[in-house]
Amino acid sequence: MKALLLATALTMLLPLEGYAQSSDELTKGPNDTANVLNYGMDYGQQRYSPLNQINKQTAKSLVPVWSLSLDDNRSQESQPLVYNGVIYVTTHNATIAVDAKTGRQIWKTKVEYPPETPRIVCCGIINRGAALYEGKLFRTTLDAHVMALDAKTGKELWKETVIDWKNGYAQTLAPLVADGVVITGTSGGEYGIRGFIDGWDPATGKHLWRTYTIPGPGEPGHDTWPGDTWQHGGGSTWITGSYDPELHTVYWGIGNAGPWNAMMRAPGDNLYTCSVLALDPKSGQIKWHFQFSPNDPFDFDSVADMVLANLNIRGQPTKVLLNGNRNGFFYVLDRTNGKLIAANQFVKTLNWATGIDENGRPIESDLTKKMRTTGETVEIWPSVWGGKAWSPSSFNPNNGLVYANTLELGMKYTPTRPQYRAGTTYWGADLAWVFPKDGNVGYLKAIDPLTGKAKWEVTSPTPRWGGVLTTGGGVVFSGQLTGEFEAFDVDTGQKLWGFQTGSGVEGQPVTWQQDGVQYVAVTSGAGGAYVVYAGDERLANVPAGGSLWAFALNPQTSP
Amino acid sequence: MRTPALVVLAWGVWLAGAQVAGAADDQPSPAPSPQLAAEGKALYGQFCRNCHGVNMVNPGTSSFDLRKFPPDEHARFVNSVTHGKNTMPAWGDILKPEEIEALWAYVRTGGKT
Ligand code: HEC
Repeated sequence: MKALLLATALTMLLPLEGYAQSSDELTKGPNDTANVLNYGMDYGQQRYSPLNQINKQTAKSLVPVWSLSLDDNRSQESQPLVYNGVIYVTTHNATIAVDAKTGRQIWKTKVEYPPETPRIVCCGIINRGAALYEGKLFRTTLDAHVMALDAKTGKELWKETVIDWKNGYAQTLAPLVADGVVITGTSGGEYGIRGFIDGWDPATGKHLWRTYTIPGPGEPGHDTWPGDTWQHGGGSTWITGSYDPELHTVYWGIGNAGPWNAMMRAPGDNLYTCSVLALDPKSGQIKWHFQFSPNDPFDFDSVADMVLANLNIRGQPTKVLLNGNRNGFFYVLDRTNGKLIAANQFVKTLNWATGIDENGRPIESDLTKKMRTTGETVEIWPSVWGGKAWSPSSFNPNNGLVYANTLELGMKYTPTRPQYRAGTTYWGADLAWVFPKDGNVGYLKAIDPLTGKAKWEVTSPTPRWGGVLTTGGGVVFSGQLTGEFEAFDVDTGQKLWGFQTGSGVEGQPVTWQQDGVQYVAVTSGAGGAYVVYAGDERLANVPAGGSLWAFALNPQTSP
Repeated sequence: MRTPALVVLAWGVWLAGAQVAGAADDQPSPAPSPQLAAEGKALYGQFCRNCHGVNMVNPGTSSFDLRKFPPDEHARFVNSVTHGKNTMPAWGDILKPEEIEALWAYVRTGGKT
């Protein structure tokens, strides 16, 4: 008891500096090259760093500096955070602090959840990262809890239940801290949930607000759901939103409607599924919405990165939101009001629609119309993985291009009529995959967001399933499901460097500078949705096994 | 006090059953009836395909390639599906024994139905 008291007293005496990230620090993004404090590298999720020690000339001298075992065979998609020389990384069952220079583990705190929980997780047992604020680390758990740890010690400070996981709600996302509120979403779009976004008090874990992504009776948009369909309509929120502090607005992508069989929720647009919501972080109030795929039959979740950038639109500097949508179109919206600026196809093969009209509504193809009226099996491109799945892209402010891991994969799709049963899947379609003739499912592309056209593309048989990072040194970083972590020339796509990490890379690369050295870190560890669900046997010789890698230039060989 | 005793009893009966089934399993079970396999396929689509792949096609690295499940290990199948195994969740509280039999019939088709 005495020892405990002493320890507590000591902790209280230690200067908070070094562990207390302020709201101010969270807004610095790429201007703070010593730290990585945001999911997406900055509030706008551009995944860009001005650092240029590693550049087109020097990248060939990259070497691993260290590697740390994550002691876990599940998929590793966590984005590392870096603060004052400490890396924070998560797995589905642990939170880990690592000395950024030596790769030594500083602390590791286990996360316990009931062994049945994976039954309600459709697509890979993962965790995508943490958030840091005022000396605390926030994360979510598979069994739908939000928790805060002491960033210095890993000690649990609070843990709150979001909702009963047994009804199909899981959490894999990294929280967002915006204007002093911890904001989280939920998975479960394939389990008949009704989605929502939550706000929490970082100090105490007190629940501050909940905004449902499917309006209830009396709320605007409720009439886009026939009968009781809204109750199990999906609308998950499984990827972290972005934040514009100037506009005091959070942008959060909303998942697919459930079940996939759209005839079961017709007629109606099924708001706000497959949309982006603009929210007030303090109250959760909806400022505007934009729906990408109304009454969606094809699982075109719109949760993936909503990237905030400033582009010149018809001679006017404009605050835009960029989204390479699963439905295969690249969207540019005016983020002050949600108005459409551009929407163009960015995948080669797309047959569910013929275009997007000026109001932002997809013009559905005859094939889709036929499926809707007859319920017949149709071959649809892109597949339920979309033209781009969850894989977060990078916006390079130096040339205005978006670097994204995109997909060419189709499906034979047959709608079915599932019965809702709490805590079990509520799919609503049978699938068979249709692989492209040349076998290349993966396309890393440098996309012009205003036209959807690629300046260059690099193909791969199996898709790149992780994040993309670009830098001021003109380098693009991303990993392969077959294990290679690679660097490309930002202008040409020419490969500059590669390293085999020992398992598939599904992680999100980050970079920072410490004591004059530029580091790049990424997690390796196959086992996400594509590996378990897509039936791509070309991955049969990629072993599972999670690790965290750090790279830098070899001082002996770099110029 | 009664409930635990009952549970223990039930457990014992189950174990005995499993052992009997295990002994019989040394011979390959008879070819699955197409109707049962079709029922199993539907259940598979609802509960198993997202971890074990459409038509059981998957690289076998992060879950289990069920096309390679030994056809003479019925008891192991029932046991693993009922109680879970390592990172494979248990299904005993969701699936009825006859549903697990239907799944077994489907798994024995190797996904070719
Ligand atoms: C959440 C993902 C998940 C779901 C859903 C799932 N499984 Fe599994 N299954 C696994 C994993 C992971 C393994 C490998 C377990 C191990 O580490 O041995 C496995 C292994 C198995 C095995 C081999 C067990 C053994 O004895 O070696 C069988 C049989 C099996 N699963 C059947 C099923 C059936 C039938 C269903 C549907 C009712 C199902 N699984 C649903 C993840 C899943």
